[in-house]
Amino acid sequence: MPTEREFQVAPIVPESVMHNTKALSNLQSLTASIFGVAAGILGLESYSGFLFYFIFTILTTILFYTFRVAPTSLKSGLGAFDTSRYFRTQYEFWAGGVFGGLAGYILTWTLFYGLVRA
Amino acid sequence: MTWFSKSTTTFGFLLLAHACPSSSCYSAYEHSALQSHRAASLSSLSATTQQAAASSSLPLDISLETIVATVIITLGLVLNTAKLRPIQWRVWAGQIERAGEEGARNSSGEIDKDFVGNPFKLLESRPGFVDIRKQRKEFAEWVKQQ
Amino acid sequence: MAQLPPQTIQRDPQLFYWILFPITVVMILTGILRHYATVLMASPPKKVEQPALKEQRSLMHGVAVRSNFHVLTAPSFKARREFLTTAFESGAYLKDPERRGQPPANPMTDPGAMDGMMGMMKNNMAMMVPNTLIMSWINTFFSGFVILKLPFPITIKFKSMLQAGVATKEMDPRWMSSISWYFLCYFGLQFVFNFLLGSDNDGAADAGNGPQAPNMFGPGVDADKQFQAEAENLAVIKHYSVLDDVEQRLLEGIKTR
Repeated sequence: MPTEREFQVAPIVPESVMHNTKALSNLQSLTASIFGVAAGILGLESYSGFLFYFIFTILTTILFYTFRVAPTSLKSGLGAFDTSRYFRTQYEFWAGGVFGGLAGYILTWTLFYGLVRA
Repeated sequence: MTWFSKSTTTFGFLLLAHACPSSSCYSAYEHSALQSHRAASLSSLSATTQQAAASSSLPLDISLETIVATVIITLGLVLNTAKLRPIQWRVWAGQIERAGEEGARNSSGEIDKDFVGNPFKLLESRPGFVDIRKQRKEFAEWVKQQ
Repeated sequence: MAQLPPQTIQRDPQLFYWILFPITVVMILTGILRHYATVLMASPPKKVEQPALKEQRSLMHGVAVRSNFHVLTAPSFKARREFLTTAFESGAYLKDPERRGQPPANPMTDPGAMDGMMGMMKNNMAMMVPNTLIMSWINTFFSGFVILKLPFPITIKFKSMLQAGVATKEMDPRWMSSISWYFLCYFGLQFVFNFLLGSDNDGAADAGNGPQAPNMFGPGVDADKQFQAEAENLAVIKHYSVLDDVEQRLLEGIKTR
């Protein structure tokens, strides 16, 4: 974790942080609803449904990394799976949007489960 | 790039839309079959539970189609996201300096709404440093030429 | 006793067209309406009297100097600090210097404070009114229908909430009535608004209240005390510059290339 002094030496652009976080969370809330549709069609129940959501969310994040983060980040000399060029912490990138999309996921999951199954 | 991501998303949605009603029809058919069967053999409770367990399985092609559609939609949406911006001032300012407005174009060729341009514009065009006499001379020459 | 077979309830497919669909559409439209209502009702920033503005801005000046001291050189920072601390301690920037040391006025009598509360009230009303309206609408028209089954099991405690209006003792708590579909929409429609209205919208109810003005100049706050505190904060700063050792860092950066 960088100290306060390091932040002062290499300052951070708050607008860019906002922009990046928004791009990621928008993507995740949209894809979460799509996953809900898929889970409803597949007729998943209880644990397998939540497992489905987590697996696919992580898959989305990996896709996002490969297409949006990796090309420039690897070129600038950062290691693989290092998101420090665009996000402040690793946690923010990998786990930040998991719970944001959960409500939308449950909504569409319930809807399509109800339509298709019961 | 933009037509690619959009067409990918559309294709994924088509696939999903195809998977959804087919599974729905199937499940509705299966459900009614189950109901009639249950009515026939109501006495044996164990048989009913067996069928209830069987009813939660979907034919393989439909589940495969659904999963493939989901992955394709996700791919399209990921390709459709906005370009990221470096969060460190020195990286970001360098990128703006090199790329200018071109760097802030999103996938459909428009400049992002919240793009601020050169963040140091304020410092670079300080009116205190403007050579007003030179500008006046240039203006006078320009007027003469007209 | 063996495992109970899962309950199945034969439901009319018309329930979808006449309950599920209307509720969802109404929720989405209300969200959009709420977004535009908040945009339209946003009151423009009020004009502030000159002395009050001076008070606010000089305090912000102090905060800015305190938080950005590292980009100033040592003598320049010292000069600023000396000037600001003396000015703050003597109360040179106060709105009404003769009222120093007295308790702050009652916020209820201050017309400026009333205005801020009105803004908050308006915001709350924009949240409350549609919600109560829709709730009562659903309760009047759609109570007592079982429309959907949750795909995951929940405990019996949720039964009274999910099956409001359906008083059946033996029913699995996974079955939900129209009012619980309303709750699901209430929490889960954020992605629709994200998609329709752009990402910083006021459509969803629980999206927070947007950027709030810093409440440091709110009513009932003693400006003199704030100035004293700020002077103290300035005085205790141990100054250093970001340019200390910059040659060292530059050389190291070149070496590692």
